[in-house]
Amino acid sequence: MTAPPAPDAMLSVRGVSLRFGGITVLDDVSFDAPRGGILGLVGPNGAGKTSLFNCISGHYQPAAGSILVDGTETVRTPAWRMARLGLARTFQHPALRLDATVLENVLLGAHSWLPGGPVAWALRLPTTRRHEREARARALELVERTGLGWAAHTRADELSHGLHKGVELCRALLARPKLLLLDEPAAGLSHAEVEQLIGTVRAVRQEFDLTVVVVEHHMGLISALTDRVVVLDHGAKLMEGTAAQAQSDPRVVEAYLGKEVGAGEPA
Amino acid sequence: MATATRPAPAATTTPPRSVVTRAAAAVAGLAVAVVLVVAPLVSSPYINFQLASIMVFAVALLGLNVIMGYTGQVSLGQSAFLGLGAYITAYGVLNDWPIALSLLLSAVVPAAVGMLVALAAARLRGLALAMITLALPIIGVPLARRFDGFTGGSQGQVVSWLRAPESLGLANDQWRYYVVAVIALVAFLLVRNLVRGRIGRSFAIVKENEAVALSMGVSPYRTKVLAFTIASALGGLSGFMYLAVVQYTSPETLVFATSINLVAAMVIGGSASIVGTALGALYYVLVPVLAGQVNSSRTALISGAVLLAVLFVLPAGLVSLPRRLARRRSARRGTRTAPHDTADDAATPTSTDGSAPAVPAPAATTTDQHP
Repeated sequence: MTAPPAPDAMLSVRGVSLRFGGITVLDDVSFDAPRGGILGLVGPNGAGKTSLFNCISGHYQPAAGSILVDGTETVRTPAWRMARLGLARTFQHPALRLDATVLENVLLGAHSWLPGGPVAWALRLPTTRRHEREARARALELVERTGLGWAAHTRADELSHGLHKGVELCRALLARPKLLLLDEPAAGLSHAEVEQLIGTVRAVRQEFDLTVVVVEHHMGLISALTDRVVVLDHGAKLMEGTAAQAQSDPRVVEAYLGKEVGAGEPA
Repeated sequence: MATATRPAPAATTTPPRSVVTRAAAAVAGLAVAVVLVVAPLVSSPYINFQLASIMVFAVALLGLNVIMGYTGQVSLGQSAFLGLGAYITAYGVLNDWPIALSLLLSAVVPAAVGMLVALAAARLRGLALAMITLALPIIGVPLARRFDGFTGGSQGQVVSWLRAPESLGLANDQWRYYVVAVIALVAFLLVRNLVRGRIGRSFAIVKENEAVALSMGVSPYRTKVLAFTIASALGGLSGFMYLAVVQYTSPETLVFATSINLVAAMVIGGSASIVGTALGALYYVLVPVLAGQVNSSRTALISGAVLLAVLFVLPAGLVSLPRRLARRRSARRGTRTAPHDTADDAATPTSTDGSAPAVPAPAATTTDQHP
């Protein structure tokens, strides 16, 4: 029934089901995200997109199924180990430390690869100091690349929501991911900010050789950015194809807008 | 994301603070250092005892701040570790251990106990950790009474140790002050380093949002265990210092009220702040003394009134006073010259984007998976 994982896939989701109590949130979802591509995950509200993200990032444990990240089975891997496997993600609502500067927020992204335990850091060993300097330089570079250089030392609570999203993206990128999950990156952004976001995601995908999976409602962003989309509805995969195919697919239109009156024929 | 129209600052490794602020901080730090070195030479034994007590409770508070201020986990059991450290040290003195061994074990044994407690308790969410830490002093006091072979029972242990070496020409109170001051200095330096780098950032994100912590490679569980272990070690260390200064310990040392007063002092000084920790210790030791001088039968009442007053005026603690004053000054200047700009007012979290939430909603509930 479910196909074996594609050999060139950075992410292979196979037969993933998720239940909360008696409610089936995800039902036997399978898809692949090809290496180096940008995959869109779309569907109406409550379709299970973010739940699927949470399964991939390890925040939720699916009841059944298999998730391979770069060939490694990760369903039983705790979420905090996923960063070391090359997975980074952003959240629908950027959760930053508002009392810390942009740079401090971004630096958290270096946690998974910065070496040294509490003793080394408490003693500020020369190697530890050097690693911290490198991480800071890298963080500043990312912040400047995404047009936030001027705000590097500004407290996060002095910045707008749109800028918070940029900071969160930098934080995820500093983790040096192979696979980047973006959860509604365009939500709450202005038109100009969405345009810039598209440019930024394209550029970093190229530069860091990333595979990107993006959950989004903004169809403009999905069309501009993604190679393929997977459409979810009621926790199940509805279809898979290009953004244009998805937008013209009657099943997708129905899922978003409801059934046309009089055209009642079951899908 | 705005386009980079503003000039990007040169790549610096430290956040640029104004030269004036830095100079002021350096001068203040130097002045404090000089006072701390010279004061015991010119003060009475009573004053030196108070100064040394400040050092003792500064280290206990430092530990509390690691778990509570920096990592955001409520701990109501710090006094138990202080007491444990004091009893271990007393046992060492009475059994002629080398002082270095007492010092080591006064930190290591409480750290091990704290770690065991946290390994079990940090799996629980919310106030469960607080409830378990609450039990520590409550169980600790009767235990200390009961095991009188080790603790001296209700009478406690009186010791006489850490006398000033003759060659130095110092009085005992001066010598003991310097010993605890050096220990406090080392502890503060280590914790300051710790909270600034990788580990400090993991503490901060566990406090802020565990879902984000998980996604960035931080295990909230391990981080809490680590923070609690460090807090317990520092609590035990402050017990060593306590015995050095007071030369006596009893079940009273670890009563629950001490834990609560430490929590209050941490908040008064400023949580998640090294300077705030020191200010909290000043408050902890000096306010009851001063209140006692005002009216010796109303000490608790006056202390409580001071606590409330500080919290009303400075909810972020004494450490926020300079920032608060600067903000007020700039706000006043702002109203005179230009339309009021609230961008630097922490009381109103700004959101320049009207539609966006000013405070990020917590992410979806997470399954905190344990290793």
